[in-house]
Amino acid sequence: MKKSAAFAAAVLFLTAWAAPQGAAPAVAGKISISGAWALYPMALKWAEEFHKIQPGIRIDVQAGGAGKGIADALAGMVDIGMVSRDIQPAEIEKGAAALAVTKDGVVPTVSAANPFLAMILKKGLTKAQFAALWISEKAVTWGEILGTGDKAPVHVYTRSDACGAAETWAAFLGKHQEDLGGIGVYGDPGLADAARRDPLAVGYNNVNFAYDAKTLRPVEGLAVVPIDLDGNGMIGPAENFYATRDEITTAIAKNLYPSPPARDLYFVTKGRPAAPAVAAFLRWVLTEGQKFVIETGYIMLGPDKLTSGLDKLAGR
Amino acid sequence: MGFRRRKWEERVFRVLMAASTFIVLGSLLMILGTVVIKALPALNLDMITRTPQGGYYLGKAGGILNAILGSLYLASGATLLAVLLSLPIALYINTYSTRSTAWAVQVRFALDVLWGVPSIVYGAFGFIVMVLLGLRTSLLAGILTVALLELPIMARAMDEVIRLVPQSLADASASLGATRLETALRVVLRQSLPGILTAMLIAFGRGIGDAASVLFTAGFTDHVPTSLTQPAATLPLAIFFQLGTPIPEVRERAYASAAVLTLIILLVSLAARALSRKLRKHIIP
Amino acid sequence: MRLLSALPGLLVGCILLGLLLKSRGVLAMQPLSRLLFSAAWKPLQGKFGLLAFLSGTLWVTLAAMILAVPISLLTAVYLSEFAPRFVRSLARPFIDLLAGIPSVVFGVWGVLLIVPFVARIAPLFGASSSGYSVLAGAIVLAIMIFPTIILVSLEVFTAVSRDLRDASLALGATRWETVKHVVLRKGAQGLIAAVVLGFSRAFGETMAVLMVVGNVARLPHSLFDPAYPLPALIANNYGEMMSIPQTESALMFSALVLLLIVFVFNFAARLILTRVERRIQ
Repeated sequence: MKKSAAFAAAVLFLTAWAAPQGAAPAVAGKISISGAWALYPMALKWAEEFHKIQPGIRIDVQAGGAGKGIADALAGMVDIGMVSRDIQPAEIEKGAAALAVTKDGVVPTVSAANPFLAMILKKGLTKAQFAALWISEKAVTWGEILGTGDKAPVHVYTRSDACGAAETWAAFLGKHQEDLGGIGVYGDPGLADAARRDPLAVGYNNVNFAYDAKTLRPVEGLAVVPIDLDGNGMIGPAENFYATRDEITTAIAKNLYPSPPARDLYFVTKGRPAAPAVAAFLRWVLTEGQKFVIETGYIMLGPDKLTSGLDKLAGR
Repeated sequence: MGFRRRKWEERVFRVLMAASTFIVLGSLLMILGTVVIKALPALNLDMITRTPQGGYYLGKAGGILNAILGSLYLASGATLLAVLLSLPIALYINTYSTRSTAWAVQVRFALDVLWGVPSIVYGAFGFIVMVLLGLRTSLLAGILTVALLELPIMARAMDEVIRLVPQSLADASASLGATRLETALRVVLRQSLPGILTAMLIAFGRGIGDAASVLFTAGFTDHVPTSLTQPAATLPLAIFFQLGTPIPEVRERAYASAAVLTLIILLVSLAARALSRKLRKHIIP
Repeated sequence: MRLLSALPGLLVGCILLGLLLKSRGVLAMQPLSRLLFSAAWKPLQGKFGLLAFLSGTLWVTLAAMILAVPISLLTAVYLSEFAPRFVRSLARPFIDLLAGIPSVVFGVWGVLLIVPFVARIAPLFGASSSGYSVLAGAIVLAIMIFPTIILVSLEVFTAVSRDLRDASLALGATRWETVKHVVLRKGAQGLIAAVVLGFSRAFGETMAVLMVVGNVARLPHSLFDPAYPLPALIANNYGEMMSIPQTESALMFSALVLLLIVFVFNFAARLILTRVERRIQ
């Protein structure tokens, strides 16, 4: 019974190649996904939409961090690992096959109750200043950062769990997650909460966790720090795209916001996905799934990346 | 020592003791109060009767039935497995060998060590074994790991209870011609049944509330598991993940889930006490 | 049945062996002294010093014990010897309830209330803290182990026979003196066992502490500094195991160290207990 169903699925799968876009063959199966918080909302949306087209496929999504995603995928615990950072060579050696599926970014954050908020928003902070906060940890007061004499200490926060957001933020500063200083808080929302509650805090978050999904403005109590890209000590109109989620995602799509901390997000499988359900899902994600990307607060990948992804899936 | 001095010392300590009790009970009330207050906006019938519908973690409809049933299945399975292993162990070291033989001492020592092992180590060990056996994250893997966690808790509690059975009772049974097995099962077990049930329920409470052991082993799913090889959602992880979304309404649901979990454990411990009180009628004082 | 009773010992052995085997990688790379006594944890540079984590674990656990033991023992004495019956029967289910609250809930509550509390009182002691600190971890842990110590102590006190108490009172001792000289002395062994149990429970707790302690891999110098206990290291970095070579081995080694500490501690506790027992006899 199982064999013939698999055979039928295989036949349908093969004929799907010749089918026009949108005609999806009925496949049955289960897909388990785990990993990055950054991809979690997107994966949930994709699972929901895909289920409408392929009700026979059951998708289970679990968060837990990019580290968990890659560990689970490579250990064969799940079908797809969600990873929000670049894949390391050691991971590729262990068989990791990564597909870029969408793009988002990490933004620096402070509390909306920060006493120096007006100045921060006007001047922004440069990459060097961020490095002084997180890497060398030489800047210990807000005065040192903003050029005033203020003695109020800076409370630097980072992620305690092995995750893509921290790795990406560190990559922006030229280092790795282990080089980031600061109080380690678990999970993206944890970091956002810590920054909200501490007026002297500085942290970072995924775009989707820094901006409210409904109002599209920064989450209540949080403010996004503009990055002073040209280093002139002021945030000019060309650098000012942090007011709403749409503004920042557009800026990322147009490459106005640097990459890193903008980054590609990956679905990782162990080797080329063989199970028909998984392959069908991944193909759908790279084609029709992309139309749900923007409404969920992410950035669409360029067509070249999508086609190379489809090629990888097909083994070309 | 003068009487006044002694009375004064007593008064000081009375105050300290009352203060301590106040701190203990006060912190309990604070915790429960915080959880309940934060849980109220999200507590409704839907939460406990429905599984997450599409987009639940993004704020849409559904409930945590998947986690409630998943946790109940997992903890029940783990407790059952742990009982099957703990009871013979506890009976053996108390009836077959006498209480203080070297063997019993060693077994108790091993149980103490296992009791102190952090649950994350069990989770890590469980993960290693899973990879070795080719198991995926599943209800079965979760049951095995949590059973490992519960074993020392249960065995230790059972041991304490069975120890209290007076030796004279066991001797009387032996003098009547019963074998050691018969003594163990018919006399000792029956006598300590209330305590054993309490031990089981304590272990159940610990098993159902632990997150570290199931994080890597049981997986997570929005569906109620229908077989041992499927991943199972658990309440501690559901709380964790709901806390992990950017949507405030979903974070409220995390508190509601915490309230549900605490309620389940409370009911279990109340049942434990009620049952043990009822069964005390059957034991020989 | 004898075979089954060998199970606990076998399990300890298996876990020990499994962790040891998985630790071989990092043990081959670095000398044991560097692993245990260096505070540099930089897996990408091949540095796996565990000192900061060992220190963090020690700070948090000891602070929690200092908070929990006096309060728990005093509460147990009060409930057992001084409280009116209705208070005792009311308090019992409450303490059971406290024992049953899952650690995730403690962690959440800790982040909500204890972390801001510590942040607010830090300036009173001349320190500036974000609230995520050894003290926050210690407070949360202490509350978690109250029930363990209290419930076991209560059992110990119930076991002390009425006659002894009555005799003491008949001789003219006050209630408190009876407690001090008779009940506590008779129950000393059990009380030590209760404290040992409390310590084990505190030592093994992972999730709740992880959420409030700050997770900074540096040696804490004060209660208001953040810390990074060893169980938290394993839980946080589990994901890196597959990515960075030897990280898996280092984490398994950390788990091994935890297991060995539990082992040694229980061994020492047992020695103390037998000696106390002998002295009472």
